[in-house]
Amino acid sequence: MIPPRGDGTAPSSALETLPLQAPPRPAPRDPAALRGRTPALRLAGVRKAFRRHLSLGRIPVLRGVSFEVVPGTIHGLLGPNGAGKTTTLRIILGLVRPDSGTAEICGRLASDPDSRAGVGFLPESPWFYDDLTAREFLEFSAHLAGIPGPSRAGEARRLLERVDMATRADTPLRRCSKGMVQRVGMAQALLGDPELILDEPMSGLDPVGRREFRDLILEQRAAGRTVFFSSHILQDAEMICDRVTILDRGAVAAQGELAELLGGNIRFWEVGLRGVDPTGLIARVAVLRTSGAEVIARVDSEDDLDRLLAAVVDRGGAIRSVAPCRETLEDLFLREIGAPRGGGAR
Amino acid sequence: MNPATTRAASGDRAAGAVRRPARPGIVAAIARNTFREAVRDRVLYLLLFFALGLILLSRVLSMITVGDETKILKDFGLSAIGLFGVLTAVLMGVGLVFREIERRTVQVLLARPIRRADFLLGKFAGLALVLAVNTGLMTLGLYALLALHGAADPGLLRGIGLLYIEQLVMTAAALLFSSFSTPILSSLLTLGLYAVGHLSWSLLLLEEKLPPGAGRAVSHAFYWLLPNLDRLDIKAEVVHQVALAPSLVALAAVYGAGWVLVLLAGACAVFARREFV
Amino acid sequence: MTRGLAGALGAAAAGALLVGASGRALEAPAPASAPAELLYLPSGGTLRVASLGQESVLADLLYLWAIQYYSDYTETHRHEYVEKVFTDAITELDPRYRDAYWLGALIMSVEAKDLDAALRLLDKGIAMNPGEWRLPYLAGWECYFQGRYDQAAAYFEKAISVPGAPRSIRRASAGMFSKKGDVGEALARWSELANDPGMDDETRAIAARRWSELIVERDLGAARAAIAVWRAQHAGIPPHSLEGLVRAGLLKAVPVAPGGGSYRYDALTGEVLPPDARVLGPS
Repeated sequence: MIPPRGDGTAPSSALETLPLQAPPRPAPRDPAALRGRTPALRLAGVRKAFRRHLSLGRIPVLRGVSFEVVPGTIHGLLGPNGAGKTTTLRIILGLVRPDSGTAEICGRLASDPDSRAGVGFLPESPWFYDDLTAREFLEFSAHLAGIPGPSRAGEARRLLERVDMATRADTPLRRCSKGMVQRVGMAQALLGDPELILDEPMSGLDPVGRREFRDLILEQRAAGRTVFFSSHILQDAEMICDRVTILDRGAVAAQGELAELLGGNIRFWEVGLRGVDPTGLIARVAVLRTSGAEVIARVDSEDDLDRLLAAVVDRGGAIRSVAPCRETLEDLFLREIGAPRGGGAR
Repeated sequence: MNPATTRAASGDRAAGAVRRPARPGIVAAIARNTFREAVRDRVLYLLLFFALGLILLSRVLSMITVGDETKILKDFGLSAIGLFGVLTAVLMGVGLVFREIERRTVQVLLARPIRRADFLLGKFAGLALVLAVNTGLMTLGLYALLALHGAADPGLLRGIGLLYIEQLVMTAAALLFSSFSTPILSSLLTLGLYAVGHLSWSLLLLEEKLPPGAGRAVSHAFYWLLPNLDRLDIKAEVVHQVALAPSLVALAAVYGAGWVLVLLAGACAVFARREFV
Repeated sequence: MTRGLAGALGAAAAGALLVGASGRALEAPAPASAPAELLYLPSGGTLRVASLGQESVLADLLYLWAIQYYSDYTETHRHEYVEKVFTDAITELDPRYRDAYWLGALIMSVEAKDLDAALRLLDKGIAMNPGEWRLPYLAGWECYFQGRYDQAAAYFEKAISVPGAPRSIRRASAGMFSKKGDVGEALARWSELANDPGMDDETRAIAARRWSELIVERDLGAARAAIAVWRAQHAGIPPHSLEGLVRAGLLKAVPVAPGGGSYRYDALTGEVLPPDARVLGPS
């Protein structure tokens, strides 16, 4: 729901068209339809500890992490810095071995290189071969992805167009900006129409870039592909994820369908008023902010809302907007994790 | 943006519809990429420049000798090919794996359905190709100079061939050491192995001088455990045109190839256990 | 930028001045006995270790240095360690370095006047290079010049036995046998050379001439010895003729000069002369 502007003019920039709240979420998938299919990803009791530098003892990073990713969904792995998100991704990709527990991709153990056939990976802040052009790098990656020789050039061209890098296809990567490199990274991850594993895919992108990446991810789901990504930008996750797993200090703090986790309950109401000071009109009301002559007030229950509205009309004030505020992912996150803290092991 | 068409649900992937690239193709692709990267490394051209410079310098030195001028040209030429080839192998070899790990490009590669051993083999093959071209260019330079003196002896090629195999042994050693340590330490270890490889004969002397016992056994063990690079060194023989049985040269080549296999296998074993955090 | 450049240039100039001044002060005067530093030249074995597989190049560099060093005739003590340089260093690093054996032996024999050292070096070279005829050939000549004909002959034998040695060097071998007094062997050698169809004309001509000379020397020697015996038996009176010596059993037969002709005998003085004095040349 987009609050109308006071003077009735149209929004002047794309930023203003972005919703201030999360858009309505897709309906949860039918559990019966999803039951029985091999999970796209499955972690069972994964533990990992890293050796301390130059001293005895180990730092535990993952303490028995278990979750499943339903095929054809967008699944977010969330958590504060040091929760173990990146380590989890590395275990899934076979870059790190778990001390105990198993990680599987489509039923194949992560230690088996074949498990990664049909998987596309984009690392955080990717860096590729400086001296290759975007096209050369994609064709090389296409070879490694098992795309037959005659098709590689065509696939590379198609994906570069898809990420809006077609005009810069022959620029050496060292001359590309961070955003351009990230697009090329997404293109190589999309080779062979795979399931996607993305590590902080939207970090460092401008709002337009983040919108485009979100759209790409949504397209993949529409095509029936799974997308698994880690992020600490909750707004992005809230907009597109079907399911989330929240890690905290190496353990799963919460997981499930996003719609179910957030409940859809209205937490409070925001009321836009003019011409009257709401303070004192009713017992429980708070002023959130003022914007020129307009005041945004907050009430916590429907009864208080009714009383406030009646009191404003009584005093001759004008009601500009009434908006319900549901629990956001950030609220859930902070509830499960607690206060913000400093970084730990990755 | 072009929307993708709807495809089968991803659960079907588990049923075995796996697109896996052929292993020789993977090794070749990584080798090509490694070659492309390596030829843009300035160190390569610097070393090649110095090698050719040394070959030219030998022409000046040969003018002040008494006797056979071409011996000076051949000795310096072969030494330049050997020394600069080994330096190229070591300096480029230690960077091959380290650079990929440091820049994390290795994570993108290993996230593909490729075996870690194939990654290393591809790196090795790429550098082997670079060394072959390098050695070829230095050989051409040497033969051009010798031809001016009417002394272009094809017999030198056997010596150059074994020097190339020595470079491959050093490349494999560099890969092994750089699989678990930093470039500086890897360079030192690899160059140390080169030095020890040319002093292998002194271990035999030591064994003779030691009294029977643990010391002798250790010396003997070290002799067999370390590559004897003198076996790949027939520079003096080819320069003096000593008759060498073809089987001897072939055996030496097999010896070098054997060490390449051992060191590469070690590198693959270490690399397979390595974690990328 | 200009100030920075000026600063850099100034620093470089100051540095260059310091280097120049201190470098001059560090120039040590030439040591009184330059060869003393050669005492510290590592042995061949040590050099081999240090070379790490580049022995031939190190040998070349040492050889080039030695050429310069031993060409400096103002260096009066330069021969003190010449054996260390050539025998113990250069040819240890490259045992097949024929030029080093050759030059080193020449320096030792001709300039340092040490034939034994030269022969030690050449013996090593011969052992390491059995296919090289020039080394025993040089050894033979050096022995000849120093009057060691037995040794010279042995070396020449070695030289001619090397496969691929030029046939013309057999002249030297034949010559040594006559020098050391083995006339029979010398004659056989010269005769073989003179009749060798594979030999060039000049060598054959020389061989034939030397053969004739030897025959004449032998005949003269036998005749003079017989005359001396006759004189001892006849109170110093020489025989009437050479036939008389034959009849007396002191001479097997009257010698016939090669190519015909008779030896000239002066019964008054008892002198025997060759048929043509030019055959022998100046005595």
